[in-house]
Amino acid sequence: MTPALRLALTSLKRDLRAPDVRALFVALVLAVAAATMIAFFLDRLEGGLERQAGQLLGGDLVLEQPEPFDDSLVERLQDAGLAVSRQVEMSSMLQRDERFQLASLKAVDSSWPLYGSSRVAGGDTTQSLERPPEAGRVWADPRLKSLLGLGIGDTLRVGEAELQVSGFIQREANPSGGFGSFNPRLMLNAADLAATGLVQPGSRIDYSLLGAGAPEALDSLAPLLDRLRENGVQVRDVRNDRPRLGSALNRAESYLGIAGLAAVLLAGVAVAMASRRYVERHLDTAALLRCFGASQRQLTLIFAGQLAGLALVASLLGALAGLVGQALLVWLLADFLPLTLPAPGPAPLFLGVLTALAVLVGFAGPALLRIKRVSALKVLRRELDPLPPSAWLVTAAAATVFGGLLWLYSASFSLAVTLLLGGMLALGVLWVCARLLLSGVLALAGRLSGRSEMSRALRLGGRQLARRRQAGLGQLLAFAITFFAMAMMVLVRGDLLSTWQARLPDNTPNYFAINIQPGEREAFADAIDSDVESQSALYPMVRGRINRINGQPPQETLPPDARGDDALRRTLNLTWRAEVPDGNRVVAGEWFADAAADHSASADNAPGGWLEAVDTGPARTPVPISLQDGLAERLHLTLGDTLTFRIGSESLTARITSLRSLDWDSFTPNFYVIFPPGILNDFAHSYITAFYLPEGNPALVNRLIERFPGVSLLNVDALLGQVRDVLSQVTRAVELILVLVLLAGVSVLYAALTASQPARAHESGLLRVFGAGNRLISRMQGAEFALLGGASGLLGAALAELATALLSGYWLDLPVRFHGWVWLVLPPGGALLIGAIGHALSRGLRRQAPAASLTLVEEV
Amino acid sequence: MIHAAGLTQRVTSGADTLAILHELSLDIAAGESVAILGKSGSGKSTLLGLLAGLDTPNEGELALFGEPLGALDEDNRAALRAGRVGFVFQNFQLLPTLTAQENVALPLELAPGGNRRVAARQWLSRVGLGERTAHLPKQLSGGEQQRVALARAFVTDPELVLADEPTGNLDPETGAAVIELLFSLNREAGTTLVLVTHDNALARRCSRCLRLENGRLSAFDPDTREATP
Repeated sequence: MTPALRLALTSLKRDLRAPDVRALFVALVLAVAAATMIAFFLDRLEGGLERQAGQLLGGDLVLEQPEPFDDSLVERLQDAGLAVSRQVEMSSMLQRDERFQLASLKAVDSSWPLYGSSRVAGGDTTQSLERPPEAGRVWADPRLKSLLGLGIGDTLRVGEAELQVSGFIQREANPSGGFGSFNPRLMLNAADLAATGLVQPGSRIDYSLLGAGAPEALDSLAPLLDRLRENGVQVRDVRNDRPRLGSALNRAESYLGIAGLAAVLLAGVAVAMASRRYVERHLDTAALLRCFGASQRQLTLIFAGQLAGLALVASLLGALAGLVGQALLVWLLADFLPLTLPAPGPAPLFLGVLTALAVLVGFAGPALLRIKRVSALKVLRRELDPLPPSAWLVTAAAATVFGGLLWLYSASFSLAVTLLLGGMLALGVLWVCARLLLSGVLALAGRLSGRSEMSRALRLGGRQLARRRQAGLGQLLAFAITFFAMAMMVLVRGDLLSTWQARLPDNTPNYFAINIQPGEREAFADAIDSDVESQSALYPMVRGRINRINGQPPQETLPPDARGDDALRRTLNLTWRAEVPDGNRVVAGEWFADAAADHSASADNAPGGWLEAVDTGPARTPVPISLQDGLAERLHLTLGDTLTFRIGSESLTARITSLRSLDWDSFTPNFYVIFPPGILNDFAHSYITAFYLPEGNPALVNRLIERFPGVSLLNVDALLGQVRDVLSQVTRAVELILVLVLLAGVSVLYAALTASQPARAHESGLLRVFGAGNRLISRMQGAEFALLGGASGLLGAALAELATALLSGYWLDLPVRFHGWVWLVLPPGGALLIGAIGHALSRGLRRQAPAASLTLVEEV
Repeated sequence: MIHAAGLTQRVTSGADTLAILHELSLDIAAGESVAILGKSGSGKSTLLGLLAGLDTPNEGELALFGEPLGALDEDNRAALRAGRVGFVFQNFQLLPTLTAQENVALPLELAPGGNRRVAARQWLSRVGLGERTAHLPKQLSGGEQQRVALARAFVTDPELVLADEPTGNLDPETGAAVIELLFSLNREAGTTLVLVTHDNALARRCSRCLRLENGRLSAFDPDTREATP
């Protein structure tokens, strides 16, 4: 070890007693703790979600096609290291005695399920099973109990086979099919499939191949999967098919990311303030070492080495705290976590250390340059301090590092640059505002003419502040940024949570009713009207497939990546509607509300006006439709493109006149394609609706099932509960992170006040020499802090309001709101908080004898 | 040891330029002890800073240990000082967070090797503070602090010790004891000593006295108080 490094480390040990080093240390620990905790948690959550997606999908990879898969393909997947399971799904009639019911059959092999387990109720017990039904046995949807009068042990006729019911399914390991399979489920062992005789040429059967394995195994299969896609096989994997909890979690992830950055920024401000004091305190040491023959390089090594050592210890401690913090987070949320999270990986640890070093270099670096430039002559002439680094250098260094961290954390260069430039601009404006504000406050305090002790204290405190205007300005800025970051995180959190709550209010629909026939429509509406608490509109539904795009078969016009899209492979639910549905937003083009009347009029006159045979070329006047923006993007479609739908045996060409964004998580019926009224009426259609039925009203459900046997009722309580659980767990995570941000904020206050301590001590010592009493000094200092705190609270409120609006609008995709309370709370709150902390910190100083206070500046 | 010729140092304050040192020449041989006397503000400390290579003159030549300082940059001047020049300051210049022993060992820390702790302890014993090695400066009296500073000045076995008003912050009795110690250490080590002071009694103990007045040096007899240019 070089002498300089050795000296750096030994003096660091001694230096740990100094308040600025402690403040520096605490700030670094907090920055790293926040960064690693969030990184660890997000990393694990990401992994957990992927695994959960795997469970919902049934595997990490799912292949689907309408014919059986070759054994050679199965072998290829197994050779790549995947566990493979085959699954066959079809609709078939079940028979028990004289009763019939259409059911959705699913036959699985002995490897099923690859992930998760099924909950099956058999007689008195409910079991969690990681296997398929035994051969000769079936598990049935509980709805079949009433539909077929079925019980455990009963025999059921499935095709030509007689199978015995051994359980009722409470939760299927991978409930594939989703809303497509509205019919009650019946699960059987693949070994029984042949005996049913249901697999015949021409029968509509979906074959799936589920695969589970490491991401590398999936990656190695990429070329094969591309080929399969081109051959019409639908390929889904966990990475592009995450569960529908998406948008809420994405926002939470964004929030956590911003919160982490806010904590890092706050810690950076604390580091900058503490390092300034650290450097000032070490100028004498540096000059002395220079006297003893130390070179500039050695000086840099000594002090940078000291700080690097500090950063290393702080980052290890911070990373440890982050590790414990994320474990605490996971433990706190364990009950709510529908997923078990994988163990934390090492990557966030590096991120933490990197963050600490970056913060140190960016926020303390410029101040350190000052030490290097110290003149040895300072030992003889104390006043010879090197000039402080230029404000430009300080800002540029901090901005560069913070911008880099922004980039690293947000993984978006443009976002980082935008935020950074905005931030720099804001800082410039803030600087000017802070100057004006400080002048205003000081002028106001100076004009106080009251004789009360309060106004005297304010007057004196104001004068104190005026004497140290430059330092005061720095503190004002630091406090304002602190209050801003703290307030912003509180504001965004509030907006986030209330938006979530608004999205899934207590009466969010928990039942979907499907297959309501036109003749039953009004009767059904009347039947539920008195019992349900909320209901979405009744949407007509026509089943149709897209078979041409701009007059060409999709396989010929679309780029390869869009050809295998699910929306092209399956039958879509088309609807018609005069108004934009609730929760939908037209993002391009015009809604056809005005045109609707014309279309319906002409449709009445000539119902077949838009209808044409498949091969007769483009329509003369294509029907307008509204398309969901996501689908348009996936299929590379824009306004003016035409889609031809195959509905039953007929074709209908339509032109896209508007694009809509919608929220798939809304628990209301959502549609890719909406027609204007009057076009689809003559096609076979049924209705769908969603409604909220308070729990504990099975009577109504049973009544509905009896009265409308053709209507399928789908209970989504479980799914809804899952989404709510995720939201509440994420809420807790958000709150925990908020605490961390607030702690980082307090560390800034501590660092800033510590830095100004010696000067204050000197002043109060002098004042006492001149005869001022403790009471007056205490009030005066309190007033000074309160003035600073009040002004920075005001500035912080303005900044927070502005930034929250920008963040909500552009990053989190939340509505922009005005928050009156921030303006009411922050200025007095800031005055109180800074006043209280500052007052408490200076209490020790006030207790000292004036002589001690006066020498403190020399010594510390 | 030290050779200075035509040294001029000016300070500028606004439009005014003041020559603190004016074409000053000086030679100090190895083993000499030289006192530089002068009133407050006469430029004594400026001269000391120049002689130590802490600053560079506006004009003139200056050589330390035979090396012309004008040819060296700040780092090289520092390297020239390392281990060869000891300092004693009026305000002691001890680092408040370091113990007495650590303060003494500080100049040794900049060079590789050696048993710094043992050397520091030995020197503290020689200045009579062998029992106070672990004490922080604030736990020591002014005289004790200056004794620590003396130990620190001699710990590297320097060829030259520069002292700037070493008794300036001490009462006469303590000051006398510190001076006694300084000269005895200097004698034992055979070090060259340059001492800046305004105290005639202290100057008297040096082998040669010089007075700095109006930026110029003159030989001075502290007993007769007569200066001979």
